[in-house]
Amino acid sequence: MSDELTLRVITPDRIVLDTEASSIRVPASDGSMGILRNHAAMVAALDVGLLIYSRGGAEHVLFVSGGFVEVRDNTVRVVSEAGEEPAEINEERAQEAEARARQRLDEGRRQTDLDVLRAEMALRRAQFRLRARRGSSLS
Amino acid sequence: MAGIRELRGRIKSVGNIKQITRAMEMVATTKLRKFQDRAIASRPYAEEISALVGHLAAVLGEEVKKRPLFRQGEGDKIACLLVSSERGLCGAYNSNLFRKLEGWLAQEPREVDFFVYGRKAYQFLKRFDRKVERLFIDPMLEEIDYRGAARTANALQEAFLSGAYSNVRVLYSAFESMAKYVPTWIDFLPIEAEALAGDGEGAKNTGDVILEPDAGTIFDRLVPRYLETRIYNALIEALTSEYASRRMSMKNATDAAGDMQSELKSIYNRKRQEGITKDLLDIVGGAEALR
Repeated sequence: MSDELTLRVITPDRIVLDTEASSIRVPASDGSMGILRNHAAMVAALDVGLLIYSRGGAEHVLFVSGGFVEVRDNTVRVVSEAGEEPAEINEERAQEAEARARQRLDEGRRQTDLDVLRAEMALRRAQFRLRARRGSSLS
Repeated sequence: MAGIRELRGRIKSVGNIKQITRAMEMVATTKLRKFQDRAIASRPYAEEISALVGHLAAVLGEEVKKRPLFRQGEGDKIACLLVSSERGLCGAYNSNLFRKLEGWLAQEPREVDFFVYGRKAYQFLKRFDRKVERLFIDPMLEEIDYRGAARTANALQEAFLSGAYSNVRVLYSAFESMAKYVPTWIDFLPIEAEALAGDGEGAKNTGDVILEPDAGTIFDRLVPRYLETRIYNALIEALTSEYASRRMSMKNATDAAGDMQSELKSIYNRKRQEGITKDLLDIVGGAEALR
């Protein structure tokens, strides 16, 4: 059976992925969203999270950080600030980032909303990176 | 004979200079290639973002023009991002840029606050008592990555939304070819709504597209990304121009040093020959006299 969707993941530095996939799940801003063949044309905003696609019966995971997904004519284009394969993620660095973000959140009662928001974003990025790295595909 | 020794010294120092400029030329070539690669690598993302922005602008229509980033600011000052180089020895790169700037300043009555990349522009502006609102040094221009450019874009956006400025403009050197770098203005903010939907392709595909959560929300998240890609692109292009210019001027210096070296060498050889001839005449003359 031939795979049915074209998936392209584009970041500012490179094209991370240009492949075929039979199904794709993206972290849309209001919840995880599945895309199969003949999906209606769509543009959606993405959150930080994991993009999961299956190809040849196997599931693959990609960490993405915000951005957008565009579906048209069975082509799924994801433009995101980051797109990282699990193998590329540095686990130690993600752990450190997680610890740092937690610390900032703990000590920061008097912080501005913006600082809190930043720390929360950093925390979520670190957590999803770790999840991608450790191969748990639940998002 | 003093002349000869002096010449030998000069030949040697010209040779040293030639080695240095050649090394600098090669370094510039490498960096040039690096920045060119990055410019190419960043293109798909920028194209995708601007296609999406165009698409959504077409969906929103007149709505777009009500947004603050699309309306002339309330302030009466102008903010200008000036992208120059950190170091010299790059030919006319900076002076061309400054000439363009002066041409504009001469007929701009409003006050201008500068946001600056590169020490050269900073020094230039300080010399003429211009107000530098901010000098970007973290990261330095040469180490710029997308996130750094995004921070700069945000800083400009915040400055604009603070209400102090009516416009934000960017002056940088666009890279046209290996031998042509053109100082170019971008009207950064407010964004021209017409320019967004310009390619026409967006407008064609507006029907029956699901928008999650909705056009306005997506658009408001897209626009900052769009501004980031514009700044990133301008910075990378300026760097490419800078290194193309530096390579060219170092190549010219190397060539000139080579010419000078061979000229000095031929003078040196002539003088040496003259010396030998004179010595020979002395010896022969001396031998003659002893007979």
